[in-house]
Amino acid sequence: MTAISDTPILEVQGLAKQFSLHAQNEIVPSCSDVNMLAFPGQLAALTGPTGAGKSSVLKCIYRTYLPSQGSIHFRQADGEVVDLARISEQDMLQLRRSELGFVTQFLHCVPRRPADEVVAEPLILRGIALADAVAQARELLRRLNVPERLWRLPPATFSGGEKQRVNLARGLIARPRLLLLDEPTASLDKATTGQVIDLLREFKQAGVAMVAIFHDPELVTALADAEYRLAPPRSLTQSTPALEAMQS
Amino acid sequence: MNPILDVKGLTRIHGTECPSCLDMTGPEHDTNVCPACGSVVAAANVSFSLQPGEILGIMGESGSGKSTVVKTLYFDQAPTRGRATFRDDDQSHELFNLNGAEQRWLRNHRFGMVYQNPNLGLNFNISAGGNIAERLLMNDLNHYGDIRRRASELLTRTDVMVSRMDESPKQFSGGMQQRVQIAKALATRPPLLYLDEVTTGLDLSVQAKILDLILEIQHELQTAMIVVTHDLGVIRLLASRTLVMKYGRVIESGLTDQILEDPQHAYTQQLVASTL
Ligand SMILES: Nc1ncnc2c1ncn2[C@@H]1O[C@H](COP(=O)(O)OP(=O)(O)OP(=O)(O)O)[C@@H](O)[C@H]1O
Ligand SMILES: [Mg+2]
Ligand SMILES: [Zn+2]
Repeated sequence: MTAISDTPILEVQGLAKQFSLHAQNEIVPSCSDVNMLAFPGQLAALTGPTGAGKSSVLKCIYRTYLPSQGSIHFRQADGEVVDLARISEQDMLQLRRSELGFVTQFLHCVPRRPADEVVAEPLILRGIALADAVAQARELLRRLNVPERLWRLPPATFSGGEKQRVNLARGLIARPRLLLLDEPTASLDKATTGQVIDLLREFKQAGVAMVAIFHDPELVTALADAEYRLAPPRSLTQSTPALEAMQS
Repeated sequence: MNPILDVKGLTRIHGTECPSCLDMTGPEHDTNVCPACGSVVAAANVSFSLQPGEILGIMGESGSGKSTVVKTLYFDQAPTRGRATFRDDDQSHELFNLNGAEQRWLRNHRFGMVYQNPNLGLNFNISAGGNIAERLLMNDLNHYGDIRRRASELLTRTDVMVSRMDESPKQFSGGMQQRVQIAKALATRPPLLYLDEVTTGLDLSVQAKILDLILEIQHELQTAMIVVTHDLGVIRLLASRTLVMKYGRVIESGLTDQILEDPQHAYTQQLVASTL
């Protein structure tokens, strides 16, 4: 059984993002002319110089940024194709719960909650019982070499690398259909990076589509099926599809 | 899924309204006081919806109208205009068309409120347990033993020492008073809870524990909540979507991470920048 398919799960067309900073009376472009595809079971790498807007693209896909221009077509599990630049907030929240995952460079989580529960949360949100979810979380933490003595502690005091692993586990646990990765191995040692590579390969096997930013070109070589090199952004004339859609 | 609450055009004007009230107030006029008649436009045309189990944040500076919104929805004060539809199981209630008795019933059984000022939410003349018992009695729990058991369950759940349930909450610390308020609000397991600046003025560590408690409750009971605060940290932690208010108007709304990382309105940009 192969999960590879020639129908894209994600098609980004003419995506651009710019910020209108009112106080500075300034328009700051952060990415432009972005076109890319992502397929089930494949990893698309975003590369390019700093400031080319790699992270902005991921944030636009996830709606943390409102895209200024272009479309982001996503094929849902039910086969329907929606434009992530224009769907409603409720639909976006629903997709985040069930189909999209985002692993950023930093762990944003509820303070004071133990690591295993932080990791388990995406499963709990999907209605899986706490004990079951925590068991799966520990399994994953073990695979990512997070020492068992840390599992019941809040990640706030963990080292950069430990936090990063908790963060990865949390992003991976629910096996989203589309996984966005922003430098997920930035502060990891060689051994753990190897574990992450194995895990991401497994994900590809299972049919997960990924869009990733890696600081290390070796990872691109090891994992990417396609590479999209971004050029520094240019500024555009106004129009904000997400805002228009919301207003209509 | 149908929203549990749908608010349309909610407006609250203090004073005798004149035709200029709405046109001459708001962010672009830098005031909520009508220059023609002196009325205060506390909230104007506020619209939003809330899904079951969702936490919606309302943020904005002092006087922007945040509390006005939840107070009208909790029937603490009447709106000047607007609609609010509350969907409860299969029933739909037009909140502002109900008579006083119907409104009281919803307030006592289906809504919960936690005020910034515990004075407003608690009766200091009776014990902490008594405060909760009052609400349970309104919900047809009449047996003394049952009431006491349920009250102590609720206080345990909110980390208030049961050994102090017979004391007046007047003697409690600010954090404990908020916990008693939360226990009281939860007594009827309401599907909808309003939280108005519940952590403002508390020590950071006490704040943190209250916020944890709120999240745990949402997980356990799937309670929909409206959280009013001027604290972006509280919004970031609790709310999936956020409304930003200024001079009675909603100037911006969106997913919370988007509001905080890509605010569109000049005012929101300034608000976010000032807390970085
Ligand atoms: N009874 C009243 N009579 C006149 N004006 C009022 C009355 N109640 C509220 N207001 C005014 O309505 C506006 C909105 O008040 P509201 O309490 O809703 O603000 P808020 O956003 O909750 O502020 P805070 O953050 O300080 O609690 C304010 O300008 C306030 O002074
Ligand atoms: Mg207030
Ligand atoms: Zn007026």
